[in-house]
Amino acid sequence: MATILRMTIIGVFFLFLVIGQDVYGGSSSTTMRARQILEEVDDLWRSQSSHSILSMRVKTRHYTRTVTMENWTKGKEKSLVRILSPRKEKDTATLKSGNNVYTYLPKTDRTIRLTSSMMMGSWMGSHFTNDDLVKESRLSEDYDPEIVFEGERDGRSIIEFGLIPKPDAPVVWGKIVFTITAQDHLPIVSQYFDEDMVLARTFTFSDIKEMGGRKVPALMHVVPTDKPEEFTEMVYQSIQFDLEIADSFFSLHQLRRR
Amino acid sequence: MRLGKMAWRNLLRHKRRTSITSFSVAFGVLLTVTFTGSGDYSYTNMIDTSVTMGLGHLTIEPPGYNDSPTLAKTIGDADDIRKRVLDIPGITDAQVRIMGQAMFASGAKSVGGMFLGVHPGNETEEHNIFLRSITKGKMFAETGGREIVIGEKMAERLGLRLGKKLVYTVTDKNGEMVSQVSRVSGLFRTGEDMVDSTIVLLPIDRLRKTLHYAEQDASMVAVFIEDQRRADGRRLEIIQTIGTGQHEVLTWNETQAELAGLIAVDRASNYLLQFLIGLLIAAGIFNTLLMSVMERTREFGIMMAMGMAPSQVVKLVIIESFWIGVMGLVLGIVITAPWYIFMSKTGINLESLIGDDYSVGGVLFDPVLKIRLFKESVIAILTGVFGLTLLSGLYPAFRAGRIPPCESIKQD
Amino acid sequence: MNLVSFAFRNVARQRHRAWITISAMAFAGFIMIFYASLMEGIIDATERNAISMELGQFQIHVPGYRTDPDLYTLIYQDIALLQTIEGAGFIGTPRLYAFGLAAAGKASAGVRLRGVDLERESLVTEAYGHIMTGKWLDERDPFGVVIGRKLAKTLNVGVGDEVVVVSQAADGSMANDLYAVRGILKSIGEGIDANGFFLNASSFRDLMALEAGVHEIVVRWQGRETPLEQLTQNLGDLVPDLEVKNWRQLRPVVARIVDTSRYSLIIMLMITYTAIGILALNAMLMSVYERIREFGIMKALGIAPWRVFSLILLETVMQVSIASLLALAGGVPLSYYCESHPIDLSKLASASLTFAGIAIDPVWYSRVTFESVFTPVAVLFGMALFAVLYPAGKAAVIRPVQAIYHR
Repeated sequence: MATILRMTIIGVFFLFLVIGQDVYGGSSSTTMRARQILEEVDDLWRSQSSHSILSMRVKTRHYTRTVTMENWTKGKEKSLVRILSPRKEKDTATLKSGNNVYTYLPKTDRTIRLTSSMMMGSWMGSHFTNDDLVKESRLSEDYDPEIVFEGERDGRSIIEFGLIPKPDAPVVWGKIVFTITAQDHLPIVSQYFDEDMVLARTFTFSDIKEMGGRKVPALMHVVPTDKPEEFTEMVYQSIQFDLEIADSFFSLHQLRRR
Repeated sequence: MRLGKMAWRNLLRHKRRTSITSFSVAFGVLLTVTFTGSGDYSYTNMIDTSVTMGLGHLTIEPPGYNDSPTLAKTIGDADDIRKRVLDIPGITDAQVRIMGQAMFASGAKSVGGMFLGVHPGNETEEHNIFLRSITKGKMFAETGGREIVIGEKMAERLGLRLGKKLVYTVTDKNGEMVSQVSRVSGLFRTGEDMVDSTIVLLPIDRLRKTLHYAEQDASMVAVFIEDQRRADGRRLEIIQTIGTGQHEVLTWNETQAELAGLIAVDRASNYLLQFLIGLLIAAGIFNTLLMSVMERTREFGIMMAMGMAPSQVVKLVIIESFWIGVMGLVLGIVITAPWYIFMSKTGINLESLIGDDYSVGGVLFDPVLKIRLFKESVIAILTGVFGLTLLSGLYPAFRAGRIPPCESIKQD
Repeated sequence: MNLVSFAFRNVARQRHRAWITISAMAFAGFIMIFYASLMEGIIDATERNAISMELGQFQIHVPGYRTDPDLYTLIYQDIALLQTIEGAGFIGTPRLYAFGLAAAGKASAGVRLRGVDLERESLVTEAYGHIMTGKWLDERDPFGVVIGRKLAKTLNVGVGDEVVVVSQAADGSMANDLYAVRGILKSIGEGIDANGFFLNASSFRDLMALEAGVHEIVVRWQGRETPLEQLTQNLGDLVPDLEVKNWRQLRPVVARIVDTSRYSLIIMLMITYTAIGILALNAMLMSVYERIREFGIMKALGIAPWRVFSLILLETVMQVSIASLLALAGGVPLSYYCESHPIDLSKLASASLTFAGIAIDPVWYSRVTFESVFTPVAVLFGMALFAVLYPAGKAAVIRPVQAIYHR
């Protein structure tokens, strides 16, 4: 599940890492350019590994909660997240290694593997589903990017991408609209539309800070369209890039270590 | 011969009594036909419906699949097996299928369910209940395409319409989670919510790719036969044809044990009720035969006084009940035939009795009380009722043989 | 001479003949009383099994809960509400529901967690008695759970095995706990078999961090038989802001199946009644026709036709009365015996059974009702009297000479 964190940390474009290499991609000139920019963005954010401390604030009609966690990532396929607070959930940990996702439950001292029946469940009470986490690393393979707007908007110079799922991509969305600043290629907003082109949720990125030697948006805010009073917010407290983390760190054994 | 003639004369002399008794026998035939017939009809109906929900009358499947069905278990040469099995006479159809569990998601929601990977070109409405229950759209045509057919209830829960996108996630042969996109080409409704909200038909070749199956891999070959009662015999023939290396052949009795149990219980209860009714009929026949013996006490007394052996008197009464039995059966067939024709063709629609407050329609549940008889049941009924008649005549015959000649003449 | 004592003497005089007729009719009545009681029991069981396992007679929800069973759609006035409906002759039990994942070893399955109030649940439904192996929930065992049959198979667990449950608690945290399987249910219905996971209400609240409120109240009527619509209306008036549905509205398909099986059993019962009717008819026809000579002689002795007619009717009534008494003496105790000592067919079925969502008990209890006892007797009387009307009339008007040669 930790991939979602990476998604927030490094911006959604991190996920377009492979777009440039995509052999199925379209060949129109705007598609080419879109890929090029996203590749640049990706280069900018590319990192071998990362380690971060962040907090997640969730507000729903029924509860408000704040969870602090520590997160390690390596490459595209490996990540580990461990909860630091609240106390009740401390040491709950999630490991993603390739296609497999495991959760360690300290209360019962058991590790369970995420199965398809849990996919649509909420992750940690947030507005993300487990499915979001698993599908995230496939975004680049599943969508064709296109620049749909370039120029001034709300006093800022921006580039807007339209991401259309490939016909055979296993995604439920109809389109993702993704906006970055034209200058630094920093993410601003990302909107998910369903098949009938109705907006389902909006990601907003802000509070750009210098962390771990890079300029990153330290705050990500997610609002589901059908419940505008609710949100999930991710705030980065610290982040480091390109550390040495052994592959063995992302193991079931490590998952259970407190 | 003399006794036979005498028996006939007696029967003809007491026309009223004879007709009353044979009418009892005939009525017994009618009752048993109704009871046995409703069983024969409804069991066959239930079995033939149940087997079209995926598993067939016989299932050729990987060993151990029945106890714990998983997608990791496959038979490797399913299509070849299908072809060879289809050549066996008495086998009407065979279908290669993949069955398993998956998560189905739309933009709005996701639900867990079961899929049935099928070959659209080979499947027929007769042997696939979902195919014949399609209410909107149509069955997909390509085996490797992305179109699928889902139940109306599932579509409702996922907020889907025809042509809309649906993503399913399954655990493949190697235990990895894989997702696939598809589009709804048709909706079905069987009337059973549980089925309509969980079952999905997928094109088999696309499913094989998704699951990383080999070209001929499948969970099973579902085999359909003409007559569900011949399942055991056909199983032997299938085993002879394809051997028993990588697979086992199970009948519906084993794969659908719950249905088999249900039928066994229902059949037992039906037998019990028939037994009680048999007792009623026997009591009636017994009554008339014994009466006729009592009433002729004097007659028998005279016969024995004139030198007829008691054993011959016994024989006489038995012959009489034999002919009553025969006449009863003939009469029974005459009165039962129109009833049977009506009940097997039209039946009693219980729905009209209940009233149509809730129009829940559906194919799983048959609201018409109908009857149908197997040949064996016909023979069983005729011998049963006839045997009952003879049995009921035994005691009266015994009584007739024991009449003391002298006193009986004086009596009355 | 007194007609009654005359009739009585006639019956007594022809002991053999009378006894044959009486015993045939008594036997028929006996079988029929038992049969009808058994049928009542089956009809009753079908409806009871459909309702009492889980569904209940009525269910109360917050409007909209049934289409979207959200963890937060709660009835908060539950305690007051239970008291209110109890005051009106109903009894209710609260339930809590949540979706989660159960895992044991390498296997896992989606489950529907069902928190039940142990004290009340057993007053309203009978799932507690439908255990295949192990035991039902217990107050003193907060981590003991009872699960559905197919779920146990999917998770590959037996009684005593551990199951981990994961869900999202009401406060957004990850709900997880370790439970031990206490019991496995017999087949109750497709849903519960595959995903039913029962635990104590208090354990449910701990797991799901849900302090107050319930999702559903299942209600049973305790009073005299009253039309279902009427009761639904009454219950609805007691809880004006909530949705009250009876079992027929909740599960129309089940209601339809219950109705259909009831009607087909009634048709079978009617056919069987016809059988004893014909038996009584035959027996009486025989007994009057056999004696037509005797009646002719009575006529020849100058007895008035109406006296002959009433004599025959009286004799019939006497015989049927004796037969009925015998039938009652045999049939009623046997039927009562089978109320507590059922005919057990469960050996025939390897597992417990359900048909279209209705649990089927392969155990037959009879049920003695006024109808099951007196309808057979009434049919005996009716048919016997009907049977003798024509021959008695004929005997009354017959000319003596004709009667003596009558065959």
